[in-house]
Amino acid sequence: MRRALKGFGSYEAGLLGLLVLLMIGFGLADPAFLSLGAQLDLSGPLWESLLLAVPMTLIVVTGAIDLSVGAAVSLCAVCFGLMFQSTGSVLTSGMVSLGVGVLVGTVNGLLVSLINIHSLVVTLATMALGFGIAEGASRGQPFSGFGPTLNPVAKWAVVFAFGAAVWTAVWTRRSVTGQSLYVIGLNETAAEYSGYPVKRSKVALFVVQGLMAGLVAVIYAARRGSVKSDIGQGLELDVVTAVVLGGTSVFGGRGSVWGTVLGALLVHEVRQFASWHWERNELIPLLIGGLLLISVTAGRVIDGIKTPQ
Amino acid sequence: MLAVTLVTVKCVNPGFYEPTNLANLGVQLVPFAIMTVGMTLVVLVREIDVSIGSLAGVVSAVLGLAATQDHWNLGTGMAVALAVATGTLVGVVNGCLVALMRLPSIIVTLAMMAVLKGAGQILLDGKWVSSLPLDLRAIAAGGVPIWVGLAVIAGAYAMLTLHPWGWRLRAVGSHPEAAAKVGLPLRRLKILSFTLMGFLTAVATVVSVPQLSVVESGFGSGWELFVITCVVLGGVSISGGKGTLFGALLGVAVMGTMRSVLVYLKLGDQAVYWERAIQGGLILVAAVADRIIALRKSQVTTRETV
Amino acid sequence: MSRALLLASLMLLTWACTSPPSADKKEKSGKTVICLLPKKKGVPYFTSCSVGAEAASKDLGDVELRYDGPTDGSAEKAAEMIEKWTAKGVDVIAVSCNDPGALASAMRAARAKGVKVVTWDADADADTREFFVNQATPEQIGFGLVDTMAKDLGDASGEVAIVTASLTAANQNEWIKHMKIRMAKYPNLRLVAVKPSNEDQKLAFDTTRDLMGAYPNLRGVFAISSVAFPGAAEAIKQAGKSGKVLVTGLATPNDMKAFVKDGTVTSVLLWKTEDLGYLTVEVGRALAKGELKAGATEFESRRLGKVKIAGDNVLLGDPMVFTKDNIDQFDF
Repeated sequence: MRRALKGFGSYEAGLLGLLVLLMIGFGLADPAFLSLGAQLDLSGPLWESLLLAVPMTLIVVTGAIDLSVGAAVSLCAVCFGLMFQSTGSVLTSGMVSLGVGVLVGTVNGLLVSLINIHSLVVTLATMALGFGIAEGASRGQPFSGFGPTLNPVAKWAVVFAFGAAVWTAVWTRRSVTGQSLYVIGLNETAAEYSGYPVKRSKVALFVVQGLMAGLVAVIYAARRGSVKSDIGQGLELDVVTAVVLGGTSVFGGRGSVWGTVLGALLVHEVRQFASWHWERNELIPLLIGGLLLISVTAGRVIDGIKTPQ
Repeated sequence: MLAVTLVTVKCVNPGFYEPTNLANLGVQLVPFAIMTVGMTLVVLVREIDVSIGSLAGVVSAVLGLAATQDHWNLGTGMAVALAVATGTLVGVVNGCLVALMRLPSIIVTLAMMAVLKGAGQILLDGKWVSSLPLDLRAIAAGGVPIWVGLAVIAGAYAMLTLHPWGWRLRAVGSHPEAAAKVGLPLRRLKILSFTLMGFLTAVATVVSVPQLSVVESGFGSGWELFVITCVVLGGVSISGGKGTLFGALLGVAVMGTMRSVLVYLKLGDQAVYWERAIQGGLILVAAVADRIIALRKSQVTTRETV
Repeated sequence: MSRALLLASLMLLTWACTSPPSADKKEKSGKTVICLLPKKKGVPYFTSCSVGAEAASKDLGDVELRYDGPTDGSAEKAAEMIEKWTAKGVDVIAVSCNDPGALASAMRAARAKGVKVVTWDADADADTREFFVNQATPEQIGFGLVDTMAKDLGDASGEVAIVTASLTAANQNEWIKHMKIRMAKYPNLRLVAVKPSNEDQKLAFDTTRDLMGAYPNLRGVFAISSVAFPGAAEAIKQAGKSGKVLVTGLATPNDMKAFVKDGTVTSVLLWKTEDLGYLTVEVGRALAKGELKAGATEFESRRLGKVKIAGDNVLLGDPMVFTKDNIDQFDF
C-alpha cells in the first residue's frame, strides 16, 4: 500500500479533498446519488476512460500526446463487429480488436519516434484516418447481437482499470524504465545521451495505448451489446481532460497515475451529478471546463508560491 | 499536392472550374482562411488554440440574438460590434491565462472550448434564431466576405514581414528563453497573438453566419480541428517559430477544395463513406512527406559542413 | 501530512458511500414521475415536443415531467440517461430511440426494475418497451419524402440527392433505406449522391452548393436532418435556383416558413410535435396508473380525443404536409 501510494503529493491531496468535498455536497443535495448501487450503476464509462487515461498519463509525461484514442476505439470496435459478423466468435473478434489497437499504436509510435513528427500532428492525422476507416468499413451501421459469452467482460472492466492503475503507479515509481519516462519528458536529448531507450519507450507507450483502446472497444461492446463507428467520438477530450486535471504537465516530466485516477473520478462524478440532479445535460461542458480551468490555475498558484521565480 | 488535386478534378469534371463555382468556393473558404491567419500567429509563438470552434458558436449566437427583433433587438451595427467584442474578449482571457499565469495553452483553450460550448447551448436554449434582418444578411452577400478576407490576409502579411512584430513572434516561438534574454516582451506578444485569434474568429463568424438563414447551436463545431489541420498541412511547425502565412493559406486551399472536389469527382454511392478516411490519409501523407524532405535537407547541410 | 489527509479522506468517502441509501424511496410528491428522453437535446424539433409534454403534465396535474438528454445525440449518453433514471427509481421513461441496439440493454434493465418504458418519436426493439407512441414509422417517412418529391417534380423524373445528418445517424440511415426502396416505384428518379452534413448548417449549405455545381441537372434535394434543411434551402435560394431545384425534408413549420413563402420549398413534412409530446406523457401516465394495458385498441386523450392503438403502437395519425397554403395556420 505504502509503495503504491508513493507519488501521492500535495496536488493529489488537494484533488482528493476537492473530490470528497464535492461528494459530500452532492450527497447533501441528493442523498440517493451517493448510494453504492447508484454509483455502481453509473460507473460503466468511468472504467473505460480510466483504462485509456492511465497509458495517456505516461505518454503525456514523456512530453507527447495521443489524440487518436477515440478514433482507435471506434476502429477497434468496428473491426470487432465485422469480425463477429463473419466468424461469430467473440474470442477471435476480441483478438482482432486488440490487434487493430496495437497496429494503430505502432503506426503512431513509429511516426512519432522514428520519423520524429510532432505527436500532435501524427495523432491528429491518425484520428481522422481512424474515424474515416471505421466509418467506411462499417458504412455507419451498428453491429449487435454478440450474445451472452461477452457479458462477463463488462464486469471485469473495474478489475482491469484498477489493476492497470495500481500496477502503473507502482511501476512508474519503482522501476528504472518507469522513472526514465520522466527524464525523457524533462529533457529528451539529455535522456538520449544518457543512454535511455527513448525511441523504444515512446513506441512502447503508444502501442500500449492502442492495446487499451482495443480492450476498451471490447468492454464497450460487452457493456452496451452494440457498437458503431461513432462510439469513440470525443473520447480523446475526456481522457486528456482527466489526465490534465490530475496534474500531469503537458510539457512533460511531471504527473502521476494517482492524479489521473482522481481527475477521471472528478470528471465522472461532476458529469453524472449534473444530469442526475439538475437534469440539464447542457451544463456538463460548462462545469467540466470550469473545473479544469480552476484546477490548473490553482495548481499554478500553489507552484508559484512554492518556487518563487 | 494542390496542383495534383486540381488536375485530377479537371479531368473528371470540368464543371468544377465554372466561375460561379470558384467564386462560391472562395466565399466558402474565407472564414477558414481568416481563422487560419490567427492560428498561424498563435502557433508561431509555440502555442495552440482549440477553443475557436466553440467560440465561433458563441459569437454566432450573440450575433443572431442581438440582431433580431424577437430577442435583444440591438440593431445590426451594435450586434456586429458586440459579436466582435465577445470574440476579442475571449482571446484576451485566453492570452492572459497563458501568458500571465504561464499555463499551457492547450489546456486553457481546451477548458475554454468546453465552457464556451456550454455557454452557446444555454444562450440559444434549444431554439434557432431565424429571420435575421436584411442588413445583416447583406454582410455576406456578394464579394464582401472575400474583401474582408483579403484585407485580413494583407494586414497579417504586412505585420509578419514588414513590421518587427513578425520576427519577434518567430523569435519567441523558436527560442523563448533567448527571446526573453534579449528583452522581447514575451507576455505581451503572446497576449497579442491570442487576442488577434479571438478577434479574427469573431470576424470569420460575422462574415459567414449571415450566409445562412438561421443561427443554430451546431455552428462552428469541429472548426478548430479543420483550422489546425490547415496550419499543420501548410508546414507551420507546431513547435513554434517556423512556417509562413502563405503555406498555411495553401493548407486552407487544399483542405477546403478537397471536400468540394470529393463531391465533384462523383465517386459514387459507396465512396462517400470513405471520404473522411481519404482526408485523414492525405494529411498523414503530407505530414510524413514534409518531414522526410526536411530530414533530407538537414542531412545535406550536415554533410556539407562536415 | 498528505498521507494522513488521504487516509482521512478515504474514510470520509467510504462513510459517505455507505450511509443509508435512500434511492428506493419514491419521490416525495406522490406524483407520477415521467422522464422524456429526446434523441438530441437543444434542437427545435425536440424542444417543441417538450413544450407539448409540459402542457400535458400541467393539464394532468399529477405528473412530474423531466426532460433531459444528450446534447450531442450520442446513443451511449442516451443509454446512460436511462440507467440514471432507473437508478433514481422514476415511474416512466419515454425514449426517443437513437439506436435500438445500443439502448436495448439499458431499457431492458429499466423494465426489470419495474420502470414502465415506452418509446416515442423513434421505436426500439419490441421487447424493450410496452408501447410505442407512433407518429410515423421510418417506412412512412421514407415513402412520404419520396412521394412528396415525385409529386412536386410533376413528372417524377431526374437526378436527386440526399443531404443527411451524419453517416452514422441510425434514424436517417433507416429512412434512406426506405427511400431507396420507394424510389423503385419511380424508375426515372435517379439518386446521384448521399452526403453527410454532420449536423452543421454551414456544411449542409456548402455541400448543397457543391452538389448543384457537380450535377448541373440536379432537380431535387432531400435534406433529411432538421439542420440540413434550411442550409440546403438557403443554398438553392442563393444560387437563384428556387423552383428549379426542389428541396424537401422534415422540419418544424416555423423554421421553414420563410422558404415556403418565397417558393424555395414546396412541401415540408412533419407531424404536430406538441401533440406528440402531449400524447406521450398521457400514455406514460396511463401506463403507470394501470389504466392502459397491453391489448387495448383505443386510448382517450384529453387533447386529441380518441386515439387508435394498433398492436402496441399508439397512433398519432399521418404526417402532415405543410405547403404555402396551410403553413400560416401552424405555430410551432
